[in-house]
Amino acid sequence: MKLPVKISQPLLLTAILFINIACQNGDPIPENIPEFITKVVLTFSPEGSGSIIKVTATDPDGGGVQDIKVDGPINLLKNNNYTLSLALINELYKPGDDDYDVTEAIKKEGEEHQFFFSFSEGAFSSPIGAGNIKDYSSAIVGSINYLDKDLEGLPIGIETSWITSNTGVSSKSFRVLLKHQPAIKSSSSTSTDGESDLDILFELNVN
Amino acid sequence: MPSLVAQDNCKLTVIGKVLDESKNPLPGATVFITELNLGKVTDQNGVYTFSDLCGGNYIFEIKFLGFESQRVSIQLIKSENLETILHEEDRILTEIVISDHRDPVEKTSTFGALSGKALEDVRGKSLGESLQSITGVTTIQSGPAIFKPVIHGVHSQRILILNNGVRQEGQQWGAEHAPEIDPFIASNLVVVKDAGALKYGTDALGGVVIVLPAELPTDQQIGGQMQVIGSSNGRAGVMSGMLEGGISKHTGWGWRIQGTAKRSGDLHTRDYNLSNTGYEELNYSASTGYHKEGKGVEFYYSHFNTTIGILRGSVVGSSEDLVNALESEPPQNTKPFSYQIDQPRQSVTHDLLKLTSHLRKGINLFHVQYGLQINNRKEFDLRRGELAAFPALGYKLYTNTIDTEWERTEGKSHIRSIGFNGMIQDNNKIDGTQNIPFIPNYVSYSVGLFWVEKFSKGLWDWEMGARYDFKYYDIVGFDYKNELYRSNLNFNNVSASVAGTFKINANSSLTTSLGSSWRPPSVSELYSLGTHQSAAAIEYGLMLDKLTNEVLVASEVKLNVEQAVKWVSTYQIHKGKFSAEISGYLNYIFNYIYLRPKGVTISTRGVFPYFRYTQSDASFLGADFSLGYAPRKNLNLMSKISLLRAKDESNDDYLIFIPSNRYEVSMRYDIPNLESWMNPYLEIREKFVSKQNRAPRVISLRQIIDAKEKGDDLLENDYQNFDFVDSPNGYFLTSLSAGISRSMGKSKMDIRVTADNLTNTAYREYTNRLRYYADDIGRNISIALKYIF
Repeated sequence: MKLPVKISQPLLLTAILFINIACQNGDPIPENIPEFITKVVLTFSPEGSGSIIKVTATDPDGGGVQDIKVDGPINLLKNNNYTLSLALINELYKPGDDDYDVTEAIKKEGEEHQFFFSFSEGAFSSPIGAGNIKDYSSAIVGSINYLDKDLEGLPIGIETSWITSNTGVSSKSFRVLLKHQPAIKSSSSTSTDGESDLDILFELNVN
Repeated sequence: MPSLVAQDNCKLTVIGKVLDESKNPLPGATVFITELNLGKVTDQNGVYTFSDLCGGNYIFEIKFLGFESQRVSIQLIKSENLETILHEEDRILTEIVISDHRDPVEKTSTFGALSGKALEDVRGKSLGESLQSITGVTTIQSGPAIFKPVIHGVHSQRILILNNGVRQEGQQWGAEHAPEIDPFIASNLVVVKDAGALKYGTDALGGVVIVLPAELPTDQQIGGQMQVIGSSNGRAGVMSGMLEGGISKHTGWGWRIQGTAKRSGDLHTRDYNLSNTGYEELNYSASTGYHKEGKGVEFYYSHFNTTIGILRGSVVGSSEDLVNALESEPPQNTKPFSYQIDQPRQSVTHDLLKLTSHLRKGINLFHVQYGLQINNRKEFDLRRGELAAFPALGYKLYTNTIDTEWERTEGKSHIRSIGFNGMIQDNNKIDGTQNIPFIPNYVSYSVGLFWVEKFSKGLWDWEMGARYDFKYYDIVGFDYKNELYRSNLNFNNVSASVAGTFKINANSSLTTSLGSSWRPPSVSELYSLGTHQSAAAIEYGLMLDKLTNEVLVASEVKLNVEQAVKWVSTYQIHKGKFSAEISGYLNYIFNYIYLRPKGVTISTRGVFPYFRYTQSDASFLGADFSLGYAPRKNLNLMSKISLLRAKDESNDDYLIFIPSNRYEVSMRYDIPNLESWMNPYLEIREKFVSKQNRAPRVISLRQIIDAKEKGDDLLENDYQNFDFVDSPNGYFLTSLSAGISRSMGKSKMDIRVTADNLTNTAYREYTNRLRYYADDIGRNISIALKYIF
């Protein structure tokens, strides 16, 4: 009795397949990493007196173990009008590259993003209160003076307006939170909806 | 030689039927006429036919995995019909498949099997979920559709899965990665619970899962089956069909084609919908083979394809998000029922091509098998704008395996096996994820040699053996700066095991085994970097520097392989109305690799706890009990108990996600037949799962975040394991099932109705990652129809 397929044939086939599949190609292609945010710059531009205040938070190692570094507290003057502009930067790219300035992408995809802010009470006379970042359980949300809007007419928050208080504060906190809210952002969505793309705590002095 | 009574009449036919105790047919059973060296496999109706037999005395040997074999003497004078009823066994002490084929399970193993009726009861469920009905087997779950099997508390890369004889090589490096296998291909699902599976390579530290299809038919007639299952929870449907037969004029050739389609929408708990937990599956396989008198060849191809939604409310971008998600009930963004599967989701395909052949020459049996597997995994997350269309993570894994074995019958009760296993793997990232790859690309080469002796002496059956394996990794990946690195590593070690079964008397036996098995660290344990699907934690591999995250030079790092020493002993008794099986085990794993909390970091997305893969010694000590009592012929009472305690011995700490103790009682009542309505039955099952009290301490994320914002790192100098929330309370679940069969000439219809979580209890299971966000699923009523022809 002869075997329909010789034992040797699968063996040969096996050897051929082994060689074919084990062949290694060259180096893998590096990925673009457009979602990385390695640096955040807060720029407070005064309307009246005082100079422009710039505070930068830098992540030294991306997903690594080192904490982000903030180059000092936010020092604002009492009773003054400021416009806050946010710049989100991906330093894996060079200045001028499309993906270097993440702020542009956020602006373009404004319908699914919103910035939220919280701060110590008494720091600002407008907005008053403690900002619009809330805990899951709390219902009270303050307001923010948003200066920009997405295509649906909802706020984004790359540009916001602030009036510091008369009394001032020292060594208080100022938190900036960016939420990704695809198909969630609405006139009633809050800081607990969606996923955090950015969440940084700064120290704030108003004097 | 048979004494020939009517030598002139060689036109006799034996048509036989093989049934289980409740008269259900057993397809795929083998029937062997010892005197003629002639074998047949039963079709979907449990029927086999031998034609052109001469008159005489024959011994028919009837075998089916999970059942006691039977030898039937026949004096053949005229054509006959033969009905054989096989009796179920939790453990089988006899050889299982036709002698030419590899035995998937050794006599001396402690194992549990699902076949026949027990397998029918879990049809439609995934592989991991199906295996849960075996004592000592649990699952690690990620939501309602992702089940990873856990054997005696050990899982993932410490369990070897043999899919139709081939080592399953999927992407098992995530807790949310389920085995890529359609359980509908199997006529038997077997779990070997000792560490002695020496023939299949490394990694069997916890045990082996064997997915075994029925033997291919050798008859010409075409048979098959069609199964439809509908479930209320998820409004899910499953359809599975199979067709098989022989090839006319080519005796010995058989073929089978098979396919399964599944679809489920969102599942729901007692109180709310679980948005985006639907899934889809489409699988098919084809095989053909030739089997005759000591030789055979088989080709097998299978394709597995699934898309699984991940609960929308479990998506978190930061620890603050996770705090919200933990507190939110119902989960965030819960919407009404839908079949839609959005981001986050995973889509996985697995292809397997297998060629196998065997040849018997006298006392020697040679076996060669080649397998090619292509595993393709893509995970989609909620991402900014157009990026949502790209997988956040994607890998393609090619695996080539070659297994050869030379089995030599040295004497009446002594078999020696010597073999070689080779494997080449190639893992490549799918380009275009626009993320730093979580694990690197690699090529790995493995070779192994084994030597196993099996023999019987007096009342003892023994098996002992050893194997040596070598593994080499060639790695190329990207570090945290997205810069390319290269690395080479190699590992080698020895495994060994000795096992014996003692037949105490006709009713009872004692099996004991001591085995040592090892595995090299996987590439994910070595080089993982970052976060992945739904985990608000950063993970770092063993090969990354603790301060700088730089990839370490391989030659400068002292790495140990994981090595398990597992002892299992099982006492089994069947006496009249009673049956019992009691197992005790201790698995001590040296250099056990797992993620331990190591600190808290502040990134641009806020505060994150981070975990590093570390090595420490771990122990798993437990016992399984299964007791049966049949006070009347048609009434069966069953009780199962699984106890386990696991520990990190080096750090005197509890491990996370260890299954808690569980207890089950069931009662089955077989109702007498009503004309052509056959085998009606009613079964009720009550399961109690206790709270896991041996769980790591609880530190809430709020505590971690608040402390870090004040400049304190709660984990920095205290590496004890922790969990974000307390382990959930214990729970009771009731399930009810009823079934009936109707025969219609040659074909047969089975109807089965099952209600799981009958009382619609709201509960959470400690080993289900869904517990952080939502309750487990509520009542589910399913109806299954099976048509066999």
